[in-house]
Amino acid sequence: MLFASETNMEFHRILVPVAGSPADDEAVRLACRLARKEKGKIWAVYVIAVTRTLPVDAAIESEIKKAEEILDHVETVAEDQDYEMETDLLQSREAGPTIVDEAVERGVDLILMAVTYKQRFGQFSLGNVVPYVLKNAPCSVILYHQHRE
Amino acid sequence: MKVIIVGCGRVGAHLAGLLDAEGHEVTILDNDAYSFRRLSPTFGGTAQLGNGIDQEALKRAGIETADAFVVVTQGDNRNIMAAQIAKYIFNVPRVVCRIYDPLRQELYQALGLESICPTVVFADMLKEKLLGKV
Amino acid sequence: MYIVIVGGGRVGYYLTKALLDEGHEVVVVEKNAAVCTAINEELGSICVRGDGCEATMLAEIGTGRADMLMAVTGDDEDNLIACQVAKYKFNVRRTIARIRNPKNEALFKKLGVDVAISTTNIILEHIEEEVPTHPLTHLMAIEGERLAVVEVKITPELATVGKPIKQLSVPPEARLILIIGANDKYRMPTPNAALKAGDRIIALTPHEKEAELRIALRGA
Repeated sequence: MLFASETNMEFHRILVPVAGSPADDEAVRLACRLARKEKGKIWAVYVIAVTRTLPVDAAIESEIKKAEEILDHVETVAEDQDYEMETDLLQSREAGPTIVDEAVERGVDLILMAVTYKQRFGQFSLGNVVPYVLKNAPCSVILYHQHRE
Repeated sequence: MKVIIVGCGRVGAHLAGLLDAEGHEVTILDNDAYSFRRLSPTFGGTAQLGNGIDQEALKRAGIETADAFVVVTQGDNRNIMAAQIAKYIFNVPRVVCRIYDPLRQELYQALGLESICPTVVFADMLKEKLLGKV
Repeated sequence: MYIVIVGGGRVGYYLTKALLDEGHEVVVVEKNAAVCTAINEELGSICVRGDGCEATMLAEIGTGRADMLMAVTGDDEDNLIACQVAKYKFNVRRTIARIRNPKNEALFKKLGVDVAISTTNIILEHIEEEVPTHPLTHLMAIEGERLAVVEVKITPELATVGKPIKQLSVPPEARLILIIGANDKYRMPTPNAALKAGDRIIALTPHEKEAELRIALRGA
């Protein structure tokens, strides 16, 4: 087991922002393993980022449906690990600040998120959310980057 | 014809030369005297220092009696504003401006401002050339 | 209200801050990347990098549902075009432009801008809200003259509280115009009128006498 007792990786409250990628599943499983030892709490959170053409509190049915499916799915992933995880659906203009706010509000000691391989203008890109979270997180952050097939 | 040109860049200076050679009365305005180096040595019109969106400067250039007004500075917004001053404040009979941004040009064209968008014109010309239609 | 602000300079920044405090939804369009980053760090993610005169940019930030667009860049022509694009392409009900050249006020109105402000009451009100402790605030510059209408706040700790105006060494070049007391009750600055804590004194002064005036009214 990778996270043996000699490591100091002990987390009691973990926030897992999910985006609907296959790597989310692994991030959730990893969170379950890290939390189990401490019987910690895990929240999976999905942020609907609303474009400025709509009011921030607009009810976008298709987005809500998609978000709920993603959260339901990661909940079953946690259940398979015999872990009860809470899920949260949030809506804002930008995911980064919302994830950080949520981490502060919940008083988490770890944000664990999956990174998917993306290219922008032919270059590898982390996007906007991950750098923002790394820069502004009030706690430790673990990124899980899935091997690219 | 009495013509005022605002902006003594390559286009402005060249146009000034063409109109002057045909015997028109040309006044060219620029807010940088160094720009007037682009005028041909044979240019017989007036080169005047001044801001094309300043109504006083335009009056000094004789806009109140001008037959035509052309704005070709580097800034789209400056061009649009100067053209609107000429058209709506001084009622110059013929006003044409350059607008690089196609969307902006489309909007102001619809609002009744005569303009040319070099971006669209030149891209079209390049396309025609590449596809061998010319 | 949803308000689009074009230009994230000092005016735009304070305006945005004040409008956010009042609970409005605000987005700022700013060309300069460094200015954008600074605003986003200060005020949350509300600044978008781009050209506020470009229709695509304005469409992207939802100008179509905006109640108001305020163009407050330092260039009159940019402010005019931003307002016109907002008005004629996106049917924004109210457009407000900041102008540098006071001669442009009539022109802007003629060209469809709802409000053109050279030395603006609206914007300054917001700036003032931002600096409530500032002892001397500019309310209006008198164009062409070197005079300004200023407001001086009388705070409770000042030695001048309770003193009649005739005992204060107000510079002769400056004129006190009005005293606005608590609850917005105003009185005339007669020689025997005494300053009270919470008073705001409106005065006309040459720029170079501002410091002297401030010291006269607030003590050194």
